[in-house]
Amino acid sequence: MVAPEIAFENVSHSFATPAGPMPVIDDVSFEMARGTFTAVIGPSGCGKSTLLQMLAGLLKPSKGRVRQSGREIAGVNSTIGFIPQQSLLFPWYTLSQNVALPMVFKNVPAAEREERVRRILADVGLDGFADHYPHQLSGGMQKRGSIARTLVYRPDVILMDEPFGALDAQTRMVMQDDLQGLVARQGATVVLITHDITEAVLLADEVVVLSRRPARVIARVPIALARPRNVFEPFAVPGFDDAYGQVWQRFRAEVLA
Amino acid sequence: MKKAILALLPGLVLLAFWEWASGRLIREIYVSKPSAIAVRLYELFATGEILPHLVVTLQELVLGYLVGVLSGVVVGYWLGRSPRVAAVVEPYVMAFYGIPKIALAPLFIIWFGIGIGSKIALAGIMVFFLTFYNVYTGVRNVDREYANLALIMGAKERQLTRHVYLPAAAPFVLLGMRMAIPYSVIGVIVGEFASSTRGLGLFINQASSTYDPAGVFAGIVILLAFILVANIGAARLERRLLRWRPQAAAQSNDI
Repeated sequence: MVAPEIAFENVSHSFATPAGPMPVIDDVSFEMARGTFTAVIGPSGCGKSTLLQMLAGLLKPSKGRVRQSGREIAGVNSTIGFIPQQSLLFPWYTLSQNVALPMVFKNVPAAEREERVRRILADVGLDGFADHYPHQLSGGMQKRGSIARTLVYRPDVILMDEPFGALDAQTRMVMQDDLQGLVARQGATVVLITHDITEAVLLADEVVVLSRRPARVIARVPIALARPRNVFEPFAVPGFDDAYGQVWQRFRAEVLA
Repeated sequence: MKKAILALLPGLVLLAFWEWASGRLIREIYVSKPSAIAVRLYELFATGEILPHLVVTLQELVLGYLVGVLSGVVVGYWLGRSPRVAAVVEPYVMAFYGIPKIALAPLFIIWFGIGIGSKIALAGIMVFFLTFYNVYTGVRNVDREYANLALIMGAKERQLTRHVYLPAAAPFVLLGMRMAIPYSVIGVIVGEFASSTRGLGLFINQASSTYDPAGVFAGIVILLAFILVANIGAARLERRLLRWRPQAAAQSNDI
C-alpha cells in the first residue's frame, strides 16, 4: 500500500499560557492521498492554522505525529509550498525578484530562473508587472504574486491559509477559478484552510470539518463534483447544493452553539 | 528654483544681521563677522595653513565612523538574532550606553596616545552605540513570518541574513548611520581638544586662546561643511537602498 502524502496521526497540541496550558488541538487524525485537494474548515480561532504550521515543520505537536510520504516531519519542511493569509511578498524585492527567490534558495541556474519566472507570471496574469514593487500592486495582484512564488518551484504539497480571505468578492471568485486550473496542471497535493463553506466545497475533493477549540475532526465529507467547477455560479454546479448541505449539517452545531 | 531661493533667504538675512550687528550691538571680538570669517577661510586655504589639520581630522572622522558603523552593524545584528545572548548582554550594553562617552577621552589618550588612534576610538565608540542600537532594534523587529516563509522556501542561514534580515533592517541601519554622523564629529573634536598635535579641534582651540574669533568660526564652518557633505551622501545612499519603500519616493530630504 502506498503511504498517504500527508497523515496526521492522533495529533494534539497545547500552547503555554500564563494561566497554564491551553489545548488547541485534540487528537486529530486524517490523511490525504497524493494529488488530492483537501479543505479544512472550522470556526475561527479553532486552531486550523496550527495544523498548517505543523505541516510546515514550524511547530512540533505536543502529542502525535505528522507524516509526509510516511516520514515524520521534523524541522522546517522545505518540500512544501506555503501561501499565507497575507501575501507576504518581500517588500524590498520587485515582483520578479520575489518569484525568483525560492529558486535562488534552491540553486536553480539564473537563465532557467528567468524563464520560469516569465512563464509563471504570464500564467497568473501578471506579465508587465515584473519590475513593480509589492506596494505598487493591488491586493489581488499581490495574492497572485504570492501564488506564483509558490507554484514556480513546483512543490509536491501546497498549503494555503485562508488565502483569499482579505480579497473582495469578485477578485476572490476570479482567483478561486484561476487556482483550480493552476493547481490541476501541477498535480500537487493541496491543503486549504478556510472558514468559507462555498469555497471549501467548490475547490476540494474532501472537506475536513473541525470543531471549536480545542479542534477535533467532526466529519470528513468527500466532494464528488465533476471538474472543472464553475466557481462563479456555485448553485448551478450539479450536486453543489447537496454537498454544501452535507458540510453545513456537520458544521452548524459548531457555529450556532 | 524659487523654493531654493526662498529657503536661502532666512540664512542670508541672518548673515546680513550678523555682519551689521557685529561692532554695533556686540563687540566684534566676541562674535567676529561673516566677512572676516570669509577672509580668514580664504587665507587658511591660500596659505595652506589649515591643510595638515584638515587631513588629520578627515582621517579620524572617516576611520572612526567606519569602525563604529561596522562594529555596530555586526554586534547589533548578532545580538538581534540571538535573543538568549542578548538577554544576558543587554543590561551591560545599556549601562555602557549611559556613560557620557566624552568622559572617556582622557582614558583613550592614555590607551591610544595623542595621535589619531585616540580620536578614532572616541568617535568610533560614539558611532558604535548609535548604530548598534538601531541595528539591534531593526533586526529584532523583523516580522517572524517573513523569516519563516523564507525558511520554508529553502533559505539557508546565510541566505536568510542576506535576503530577509538585512533588507528588512536596512531602514534602521541607515537611520543609525545618518544619526551617527554628527556624533563622529563630536568624538573627534573632543578628542582633539583633550590632547593632540594636529587637527581642526586643535586649530579651533588655539584660535580661541589667541583671541581669534574669525579663526574659531572658520574652523566651525569647515566642520559644518563636512557634516553637510556626509548627510547628502547618506541621503543618497538611503534613497538608493530604500527605493522599495512607498515613502522613499515621496520625500526627498538631503540635509
